[in-house]
Amino acid sequence: MDQIDLFSLQQTYNRQRIMLCFNGPLTKSLIEEIGFALRNYMQRENAPASSSMDVFGAYVEMTQNIRHYAAAKGWHESEAAATVVVGRDENGRYVVSAGNVVESADGQALAERVAELATMDKSTLKSAYKDQLRKPRADGSGSGAGLGLIDMARKAAEPLTCSLRALDDKRAFFSLRVVM
Amino acid sequence: MDDLKIEGSQSTPAIFCDAVHGVVEMRGDSYPENSFELFSPVVAWIERYLRDSGQALMLRLHLLYLNTSSVKIMMDIFDLLNDAHAKGRAVSVHWFYDEQNERVAELAEEFREDCDFPFAISCQADSHA
Repeated sequence: MDQIDLFSLQQTYNRQRIMLCFNGPLTKSLIEEIGFALRNYMQRENAPASSSMDVFGAYVEMTQNIRHYAAAKGWHESEAAATVVVGRDENGRYVVSAGNVVESADGQALAERVAELATMDKSTLKSAYKDQLRKPRADGSGSGAGLGLIDMARKAAEPLTCSLRALDDKRAFFSLRVVM
Repeated sequence: MDDLKIEGSQSTPAIFCDAVHGVVEMRGDSYPENSFELFSPVVAWIERYLRDSGQALMLRLHLLYLNTSSVKIMMDIFDLLNDAHAKGRAVSVHWFYDEQNERVAELAEEFREDCDFPFAISCQADSHA
């Protein structure tokens, strides 16, 4: 195995203004712990309470979506793995990104959904959100049932973007980016 | 009718349903993975209270961040109150938020749009007071 080059990692993190990153299986308690760290970090940076809550909210929705997805697929908990990065863009805005392995067809559908949301203005997004809120739950589902993406799109400073990279003929790596 | 008390945690609010005074109080953040599971006893308590007593019911909320799963279950609860209100029951919500965090007020405001019963939203200097 190659020696881990911490210096080059540090350079990359600094250059890309990465505040926090995580790679690996997500558990319920990890989501809370990292979320707690994220909030503390933002408090130390004197971020306004509302933007701190927006960034935290995007982080929670993304990571919980990834856990719900793995559970819905019947995957083992260790397969609920994600790569999560919170940082800033060149204008100082907060950027929350998360990526995970999905079945190709699901990734395709998600990418289409993200593209669809990108065409909506804030008031259209609000009615889409309220419609979704009124839809009955799937059996036993305690998740937000499709609200998460719309919620993030509503709070984001610019349309959500995503990418899909094929891993083999069945699976792909889906990543989503939200600017707050 | 018994009271219902649920201890809070980092990701779940402290909840107290007071049968004598007809008050349901919730305090804290709410972002459990499965809000349905957490709130089911609360929904059942409210249903029973509205069915078995003729008293007023007030929800006193000091909720901060809600994930979308919690938003969905809160809407279910407000729908119960809407139904009770339509039948002439005295039901109300009072949602308190910290002046530093207008996101909470926006969230409460959006719920209020879908509620027919009295729904107050108040700013307080310190939400932990």
